[in-house]
This record gives sequence, structure tokens and C-alpha cells, in this order.
Amino acid sequence: MSRTFSEEAQREASRLIIKTGQMLLQHGAESNIVGYNCVRLGKALGLDSVEVSLSASSMVVTTLTNEHCVTTARRCSDRGINMHVVSEVQHIIRSCEQQELDLKTVRNRLNAVQAYKHNRWLVVMMIGLSCASFCRLAGGDWTLFGWTFLASSVGMIVRQEVAHRHFSPILNFGVTAFVTTLIAAQAVTHDFGNNPTLAMASSVLMLVPGFPLINAISDMVKGYANIGVARWIFASMLGFSTCIGIIAAMTVSGVWAWI
Amino acid sequence: MDLMMALLNDMLFSAIPAVGFALVFNVPTKYLPYCAIGGALGHGLRMLLIHYGLLIEWGTFAAAFTVGSLGIVLSKRLHVSSAIFTVAAMIPMVPGVYVYKAIIALVEINHIGYSPELWALFIENFLRGISIIAGLAFGLALPVLLFQRRQVSH
Repeated sequence: MSRTFSEEAQREASRLIIKTGQMLLQHGAESNIVGYNCVRLGKALGLDSVEVSLSASSMVVTTLTNEHCVTTARRCSDRGINMHVVSEVQHIIRSCEQQELDLKTVRNRLNAVQAYKHNRWLVVMMIGLSCASFCRLAGGDWTLFGWTFLASSVGMIVRQEVAHRHFSPILNFGVTAFVTTLIAAQAVTHDFGNNPTLAMASSVLMLVPGFPLINAISDMVKGYANIGVARWIFASMLGFSTCIGIIAAMTVSGVWAWI
Repeated sequence: MDLMMALLNDMLFSAIPAVGFALVFNVPTKYLPYCAIGGALGHGLRMLLIHYGLLIEWGTFAAAFTVGSLGIVLSKRLHVSSAIFTVAAMIPMVPGVYVYKAIIALVEINHIGYSPELWALFIENFLRGISIIAGLAFGLALPVLLFQRRQVSH
């Protein structure tokens, strides 16, 4: 279903394609998905071919139609993981494939995608429960379950407040780990439950950068080694920052539970 | 019967963190049940496999492969990529404690000086953590690699 494009139309199509790629990359989609969806949208719009070049913080797209190339580049700063945006973008591409939407409609629908966020207090409660569940899985009793819930919930509130003020996640994770460990360490000081060090270990598990780590290996396995390495390094820095926060809190509270 | 209860306990307490982290990743509400099922299924399966003598790395790999395959079936039906629900389902299996222990041991070697015990603590936890993460991520990626073989370009 190759269409004939005017030069302006091809330019607009290229802008739309790189916008979808940018939205996917910024909100935590793995490289394979970014490349695949850009190519899909290009085909759906009727271009002859789309080539995508990705790097950790930017991307380049070249579109080809009527033997005429348009190349454009965008910076893709990290906007935080948001699977809502990723799924919305994929729905738009799918309806473009099925209904052959025109460029203006695609533009309007892409612009209308808002980064939906779940209610923050629901997130606080569920993350508190999550870490408490980790404590339970590791063999903690209900007293420790409660204490881990408290430490992680307060930690999550700190994390949201710091993130809300747009500080770097690397800073944020250290501060959050410090506060969380300080609270969890009270379980050891006052000897709560059957094995109080479990509260300290479980409460900071909300800071494990699981998504970047999994994405990193997926990218490396699927032939995007450079982005995979970049993601891996970033995840490691988050981990280091978290550990510095934990060690600082252990020094302050005088509780050496980890080693 | 004890095993059954332990399994149910394990699945319940791994479904909770799967949903909790799915909320942090802003997974749309309609997909949250899949995250819960994936989390419970993956962690429960791993617990069973470890119970029957498999190493934790291989248990994690098998569990991730199973969840990843189901994720692909679901993604075909829901027309979104499977990462949207499978990654959150993997979070309960991420070896956070090993990774933290390794890094803290490393910082402590710098802080109080080298000792064979600290070095052993670092190496053991580091290798264990890395193998589990590798098993997990590779298990999750493998179904995609099996379904989508390299396209021959002209």
C-alpha cells in the first residue's frame, strides 16, 4: 500500500515516526520494541522503508519514499518507566495499520497521550505491602511484616517527594535507602520479631532497579549491545547509590546487619 | 499437603509485589491481573523446582521462560508487547539481597581493609546475583528469540 508522498508529507511522517520512537524509548521500552514499532508505523503510513538507529539517550530515523530520504534525530531524555504510554502508543500504531489513519489524526492522537500515573497513596500502600511480602517470603513473622511495611511506605513517600522535585534518580535512591534503613534498623535495635535483620534487608528491595536490569540483558541478547551496556551501567549506579544510603544509615544507627 | 500450603503462601506473597511494582511502572489497570498471575506463577514454579532439587538460577530461568511464553500468547491477543506485563511479574524473582550484599562487601573492603571473608562475600553474592538476573532476563527473552527469527534483508 505504497502511497505517493509530497516532500512536506514525508517530513511530517518522519516526525511522527521519530516521535513514537522517542516516546517509547523515554518511557522504558526495550530497544527491540522501539525499532519494531517505528518500522511498523512507517509501513502503515505507506513509506517504502524506515531505518532506525538507537543509542542510549538519542535516536535517528531515516525514511525512504519515491527514492527520497528524510533523516531526523531526537534526544531522548529519561522520563521514567511508564507502561501506560508504551501500550497507548502501540494501540495508536495498530489502529493506524487497520484504519489507514491520515497523518493529522496520528499526530493528534500521539499528542493526546498523557503519562498516566497511578494514585500515589495506592502506590505507597502497595509498595509497603510488596516489601512486607518479601520479608514474609524470606521467613519473617507478622511483627516484622508490619515493621517492613512501615519502613517501606515511609521510604516510598520520600522517594515520591524527591522525584516530584525532579532530582536525579541516583540521588533519590540514596536518600530513600537512608531513610528506609534508618526506620528498619529500629527493628534490630528494639529486637522485634523472629529475625529483625530481615526487615532491613526486605524494606530496601523496592529500590532494586529490576526493570533497567532486565531491559539491559534483553537489549544485549537481541543485538543492541551498546544500549544494553548503558542501561546496565545506569542500573549499577542506582544500586551503588542505594548501598551508600544503606551504609550511611547503618553507620548512623550503629546497626550492622548486612555483613 | 504442607507443600501445597507452602506453594499457595509463596504464590500469594509474590503476586502482591508483582502488582506493587506494576503500579510503580504505571502498567494500565486492565493489565494488572496478568501481572499478578504472572508473578504468582513464576515465583511459585521456581519454588517448586528448587524444592525438587534444581539450582535457583535454573529454576529462575525455567520460570521466566514459562511466564515469557505465556506473555507472548497474551500479547498476540491484546496487541501490545509482552514486556508490559511480564517484566513486573519477574520483579519478585530479582535477587536484590545478593546484589546489595555484594556491593556493601565491596564498599566495606575499601572502608575497613581487605579480608578473605569480605572478598568471598563479595564474589559469592555477586556471582549468584548476576547468574540469577541473567537466567531471569534470558529466560524472558528466549521465547521472543524463538518466535522471531532473523529477517533476511535484501
